[in-house]
Amino acid sequence: MNAVVFDVALTAYILAATSALVSLAWRRDTFARLARELTLGGWVCHTVAIVLRGFELARAPVLTLAELVSVMLWVVVFVDLWMERRHGLHALGAFVLPVVLALGLGLPTGLRDLALEPRASSAWILVHVALVLVGLAALVLNFGSALMYLLQERQLKTRRPGSLSYRMPSLEMLDRLTLATLTAAFPFLTVGLALGFARAGRAWSRDLLLDPLALFSIVMWIVYAATLSGRVVGHWHGRRAAYFSIVGFCVLLATLGAGVLFQGRHGS
Amino acid sequence: MIERLFVAGLSHRTAPLEVREQLALDEDKLREVLGDLAGRGTCAEVMIVSTCNRVEVYGVADVPGEARSAAFRRMGSQRGIGLPALEPLLYTKYGPEAVQHAFRVASSLDSMILGEPQILGQVKDAFALAQSCRTVGPVLHSLLSQAFAVAKRVRSDTEVGRHAVSVAFAAVELARRIFDGLDGRSVLLVGAGEMGELAARHLQDQGTLPVYVANRTSSRAQELARELSGTAVPFEELFAVMAQVDIVITSTAATEPIVTMADAAQAIHGRRGRPLFFIDIAVPRNVAAEVNDLDGVFVYDVDDLRSVVETNLRERMREAQRAEALVEREVTKFADRLRSLEVVPTIVSLREKLEEIRQAELARALGRLPGADDATRQALEALSQGIVNKVLHAPTVKLRDSSKAGHGRRWIEVISELFGLGGKSRGGPEP
Repeated sequence: MNAVVFDVALTAYILAATSALVSLAWRRDTFARLARELTLGGWVCHTVAIVLRGFELARAPVLTLAELVSVMLWVVVFVDLWMERRHGLHALGAFVLPVVLALGLGLPTGLRDLALEPRASSAWILVHVALVLVGLAALVLNFGSALMYLLQERQLKTRRPGSLSYRMPSLEMLDRLTLATLTAAFPFLTVGLALGFARAGRAWSRDLLLDPLALFSIVMWIVYAATLSGRVVGHWHGRRAAYFSIVGFCVLLATLGAGVLFQGRHGS
Repeated sequence: MIERLFVAGLSHRTAPLEVREQLALDEDKLREVLGDLAGRGTCAEVMIVSTCNRVEVYGVADVPGEARSAAFRRMGSQRGIGLPALEPLLYTKYGPEAVQHAFRVASSLDSMILGEPQILGQVKDAFALAQSCRTVGPVLHSLLSQAFAVAKRVRSDTEVGRHAVSVAFAAVELARRIFDGLDGRSVLLVGAGEMGELAARHLQDQGTLPVYVANRTSSRAQELARELSGTAVPFEELFAVMAQVDIVITSTAATEPIVTMADAAQAIHGRRGRPLFFIDIAVPRNVAAEVNDLDGVFVYDVDDLRSVVETNLRERMREAQRAEALVEREVTKFADRLRSLEVVPTIVSLREKLEEIRQAELARALGRLPGADDATRQALEALSQGIVNKVLHAPTVKLRDSSKAGHGRRWIEVISELFGLGGKSRGGPEP
């Protein structure tokens, strides 16, 4: 049942992403409004799907990689809705939702019955998972705003800004948003990963080095650490900072991909 | 009722500026003309919109054609222009077409610059003036209230007035795409060109933006700084100031670029990524084209700004088509409503007449039945009420339907005659 509701949520997200993208091409508000309503509808279904899954499996619905990604997307959509409403960042959805979809569409296959190994399931794991999730959610938004920054910058540099430019927030605002999402993500990511390694170091011993998810996580953390220190210490701004955020996100995707494709100790 | 409504006038579409100038009357003269037209009974209701782009009379009269001629004869006489001279420049619209014209004018669809916002205020002023002269009645009142509502919808539902259509405003709009809010941004104005000054003024309208003025002639810089309540800076310190400000407007007559790649690179050094926006209004250009390649620096010259304006104008025209469709729908709705209003007084007096008869007959009947108990009284009351309602039903429906179909007046006369309703029913209820 939860899978059905999840499919409904995904369908709403697909429609929402489509109308958000259409609204970018036209300087008209109808599609933007439609996108917001569809996103909200999708998010409500998504919430129901997660809760239902918890009841149906009679356990916390955050113990497989697929479930984790689903919850992370749920957080992302929530924050996207909140920022669009609170800060009037109406174009954000057009950049965030496709990412949500790209990740979300891979889930139905993975959602079914992959569980963490029983001996790893403990309160520590849940904390590790929750922290990493929040971090990843912020990084999806970081990617969205970096992408918007580059597009807006391109539009303004060509000196013939089109309707896309009018639909997006100002450059400065986007630059601030990229920094804010990265700053928010980093502590969660760092503590979350550190907890995971500390726990796994004891439980898995040597196997840790063979777990692709763990290895990619380190690379991802290094890229984001470099980006953040570049911004804070080196005063990187604008284009360079945005490029780094995008590279970081590619590594993030590779990390998730590695977790799904290769059998490691993370269970899938 | 709607047939009595007319709009007549001349505008930038029909008359040259010289004529418009001549006919544009000041407030006192307008009061005089309004009072005259209403006082002599030429118009039952009248209002005059008089701007530099149009002079229009909105009126309600029994013979609209005559009222229109009288109005323009009267206005022309103020300036010694005879009606024959004005006649070829005048347009006149009656009934629904007049409604449409009013809606289009208020929504700025008939403006010289499509979607410009001033016209709505001007129409509102004209309406207020006519109201203060007591020359507005129910028809103009509902027409103009609806016109203002339509104008508001056009503004909110379409983008006909959204984007900048002047070079100076286009620059302001671009600054908004770069900076998150313009309040507190500082502006450096280099050179004393008129267009540069205008752009600086438009920017200042957006919030408190400190302005620095640099000019080769320092007295001119001082003068301009005073006008803009800014600060004059010596021309030699140009680049030092440039490193601090957010927006640079250049409009000097220099034949070679005064801001080179090296200067700009120097200026953005140490800005920590804070963007720098050059608005180069000078021809030939004051800022070297390649400066735009620097990260965080944006250079727009006059051609760039013009092309932004052209894009926006095209966008406005596209949006205007949607606005026209919206106006069209509103005109139909309004005309229907106005027509249905026309039969209301007849329906009301018909109802009153029958109620009067009923009351009188009921009193007579009860007088003959001194011993009647409450039940009998109620039965009689209900009986008479029932008969009256049944009798009223057919004529009421007929009146409503005929008004929708546009021939309400004929039926008003027929029914008034048949039921002996006193006087001619005309004019809607007071708003």
